[in-house]
Amino acid sequence: MIDVTGLRVVLPPSTVALDGIDLTVRPGEFVVILGPSGAGKTTFLRTLNRLVEPTAGTVRINGRAVTGAAPPELRAVRRQVGMIFQQFNLVRRLSVVDNVLTGRLGYVASLASLAGRFPERDRVLARECLEQVGLGDLAQRRADGLSGGEQQRVAIARALAQSPAVILADEPTASLDPALTDSIMGILRRINVDRRLTLVVSQHQLATALEYATRVVGFRAGRVVFDGRPTDVTPAAVARIYAERAP
Amino acid sequence: MKRAAAFVVLLALAWAAWDTGANPARLIRGLPWLLDFVRRMVPPDLRVLPAAVAGAVTTVEIALLGTAIAALLALPLGFLSARNVAAPPIFHAVRVALNFLRSVDTLVYALVFVAAVGLGPFPGVLAVIAYTTTSLAKLYSEAIEGIERGPVDAITATGATRLQILRFGVLPQVLPLFLSYVLYRLETNIRAATVLGFVGAGGIGFYLQTYLRLIDYRAASTVLLVTVAMVMAVDFVSSRLRQRLV
Repeated sequence: MIDVTGLRVVLPPSTVALDGIDLTVRPGEFVVILGPSGAGKTTFLRTLNRLVEPTAGTVRINGRAVTGAAPPELRAVRRQVGMIFQQFNLVRRLSVVDNVLTGRLGYVASLASLAGRFPERDRVLARECLEQVGLGDLAQRRADGLSGGEQQRVAIARALAQSPAVILADEPTASLDPALTDSIMGILRRINVDRRLTLVVSQHQLATALEYATRVVGFRAGRVVFDGRPTDVTPAAVARIYAERAP
Repeated sequence: MKRAAAFVVLLALAWAAWDTGANPARLIRGLPWLLDFVRRMVPPDLRVLPAAVAGAVTTVEIALLGTAIAALLALPLGFLSARNVAAPPIFHAVRVALNFLRSVDTLVYALVFVAAVGLGPFPGVLAVIAYTTTSLAKLYSEAIEGIERGPVDAITATGATRLQILRFGVLPQVLPLFLSYVLYRLETNIRAATVLGFVGAGGIGFYLQTYLRLIDYRAASTVLLVTVAMVMAVDFVSSRLRQRLV
């Protein structure tokens, strides 16, 4: 589903954010990426859909090349890849349902969408996506009037509206009350199980990662230092991911 | 360092005062004449009220039309001169051109356009457009440079085109600011348009200048009162609208 080989990202002037990542994610996996802050989790996720341009290496999603793709092909790949952010990143002044509709931008005719017009079936789909995250009755509210947990659910609905094959989530619960972590992670698990969607989620909380992941990948200093099932995450593995010094 | 800077500033001010002949004694000696001027303005000659009101309407029209057209013309220029939207060569070229054009004031543009298309309100409209387009483009571009990156990333990640990203990621963030800037420019343009008549570019300024030249101070005071009422009315409406945008 996702094939990453030799991925390297050097951020200007000379920070090595990713230092040669090789990773294959199979369809239907719920991969949680663990690692201390600065390990490259966010950069990795943002390189998968080229919000960050890689310095070297290749990314393929669903058999299509992401790296090196010309703008039209890149957009075609991106619309299959939903993305959820730590800060939700909703368009504040738009209504909830309009935010979800932006998930359809990769599919609709450009001119009509610029006028703010979306096909009726897209509006129906947007409503369905909102129902799935339990926010059907807030559709007409302005996005910035919602609580953090609700905003993140709108963001999930926006990603679902893309009819994606993959969802990337960058620390989706880090800006939320700890009590909301299970609500958001539970919704992501349901998407993974019910829709058979492939998920790649970064998390800084070990317990949450172990509870929801089908596979845990540990990042440290821009490299993969652990890759296995949650049951394989031993104290020694945790030490390898989080230890101050390399073993 | 600070002392040296303060000394230089004081020196510059002293020289400017001497060079311009700024002198409080001269102002005090002139006060009786000022009083005489005011005395000759009252009571206002209300027979010229219809002409003054007609002039005020023209002035409002010049400012409204000029600001509205400039608000639209400035849109593409604002995006092209925003560092985070336009490619560096375009951004720099547009910035330089705008800075150059903006250094010329509305009244100077009016002189040029009166020479080009003749007397009347039309060159006034053109002058307002010329200056306001460049000044709004600058304000627009600053608003665009101040947007949040997050929503833009999110829209980009959906597979949207560049135009769709601008429309859904950028525009909703900047539109209220844009409207507020346009209203602010409308208020300043009303003031600028009152003097456009002095150079033959239409509006209430024409009447003010005419009555002053005819030494008909009572008629001129009527025109002044109408000008004050017009500016205050536009400011009131505009500031009310701006409050609702925030």
